[in-house]
Amino acid sequence: MTFLILLIKASLIYGGLLVTAAVMTLAERKISARIQLRIGPNRVGPGGVLQPLADGVKFILKEEITPDGANKGIFRLAPIMAAVPAMLTVAVIPFAGETVIFGLDFGLLSLTDLDIGLLFVLALSGLSVYGVILGGWASNSKYSLLGGLRASAQMVSYELSLIMTALTVVALSGSMDLREIVEVQNTGNPLAWNCFTPVIGQVGLILFVIATFAETNRHPFDFAECEPELVGGFHTEYSSMKFALFFLGEYCAMTVMACLTTVLFLGGYSVPFWEDAPWMVELATFMAKTSFFLFLFIWVRWTLPRFRYDQLMNLGWKVFLPIALANLLLAGAFISLT
Amino acid sequence: MVDLLFYVAAALCVLCALGVVVSANPVQSVLMLLGSFVGISLIYLLAGFQFLAAIQILVYGGAIMVLFLFVVMLLNQGDPAVLASEQGLLSKAQLAGGLAVAGSALALLLAAVVRTEIPRPIFGYLWPEGGLDPLVGMAQAMFGPYVLAFEGASVLLLTTAVGVMTLAKRQRSKPSVKAAPLSSTTEGSP
Repeated sequence: MTFLILLIKASLIYGGLLVTAAVMTLAERKISARIQLRIGPNRVGPGGVLQPLADGVKFILKEEITPDGANKGIFRLAPIMAAVPAMLTVAVIPFAGETVIFGLDFGLLSLTDLDIGLLFVLALSGLSVYGVILGGWASNSKYSLLGGLRASAQMVSYELSLIMTALTVVALSGSMDLREIVEVQNTGNPLAWNCFTPVIGQVGLILFVIATFAETNRHPFDFAECEPELVGGFHTEYSSMKFALFFLGEYCAMTVMACLTTVLFLGGYSVPFWEDAPWMVELATFMAKTSFFLFLFIWVRWTLPRFRYDQLMNLGWKVFLPIALANLLLAGAFISLT
Repeated sequence: MVDLLFYVAAALCVLCALGVVVSANPVQSVLMLLGSFVGISLIYLLAGFQFLAAIQILVYGGAIMVLFLFVVMLLNQGDPAVLASEQGLLSKAQLAGGLAVAGSALALLLAAVVRTEIPRPIFGYLWPEGGLDPLVGMAQAMFGPYVLAFEGASVLLLTTAVGVMTLAKRQRSKPSVKAAPLSSTTEGSP
């Protein structure tokens, strides 16, 4: 019975993640169209809702091309390495509290609550860069290789700030268990959310959001695929479903990072002024908060210009890291004072 | 179940470690090393050290191996044909000597393992019985009784890193004074 419940939970959560990724591709196209005063896809299904499905079918039916001189094994491995870690991380995200569906007790709504949930997410999301690097290297193309190289340097630089900022939250809530972090903030008073901790919370939130942009290779930090300089960057040589897997990985990573930002800074599933809300309200609140960050990813991509590569490195090492360290120190002082 | 998983993880470690040495392609070697680290992390996990397992992946898998890969990809890897021709350069005597050394080391290790008394069950007795939270316990040990040793080790590591940087920098800058100013940058290009 417990195994069956776990199975249902897993299929619900993973189904939800994949559906979110599909919806994100549509949202990306629709919102970018709005921003550029276009209409966007509107032919497949009512208002273009079924466009992701059509895209999926198109990707599966397209011819798969492996370039000459490519390292075939690694060329095949790379899209998997890009997609799998991003999907694994969703296992520790707490979506809601005590959940009962049709009289079936589902327990706390998350696949598992690890003691080291936050570390688990950070460790696995650090692995997702291998997809980009290996894909770039195995393609046997200079554009791809440059894209992969850029991604590796960028990822190592920004992961530091990301972890330092996450540590601030760990210090504030005294736990690395994501559910524990949410429960500390879930008091019915939205001012208890970490983003409202004076100075530390706001600086942390801004740093964390920017670092997630760099970590997921999104605009304005998408140097790995930078079209004007590198054709398509690391995925220049990829076609068909392999190409789609890279995108699936990217959108899954974005979704997980949006969830993580919600959990760390916006109180996760805690509903303002309602401490013991039923699970459906909690889940809806969680989704609403996460959607905001997902929208932010798209909004920023279509409104800001791209950085220059040296600017990105300077920003990472000379601005973000010192601020993140100072913020961590400040958090320590804040805790010892209160 | 735990025992079976242990053997899978251990086999992964050993095979991947072998792959690091055997594979002709440096990028493949780095990948194999990553596989070996994942195996080690699995063993940590089976022994109940989940923090150590996560850190192993985070630090070695996520950061250090990415740097390795970066360096390997950045450096000139040479023509694959030349690399392949260099593979047979070891003479039979050298190969035999190497195998003899490796074999005797393995025999020593096996003898040591067989003679050591290993507590049974190997795993499981390390899991705290609903008591101490592993993370809290580790933090208390690290920042409680062992705080001096811990901080001392980190200072030592930092000193080593800075020292290596200084030495490497001095060695490289000396010959480049005599040579043409661009020689160090053109060296790496194919």
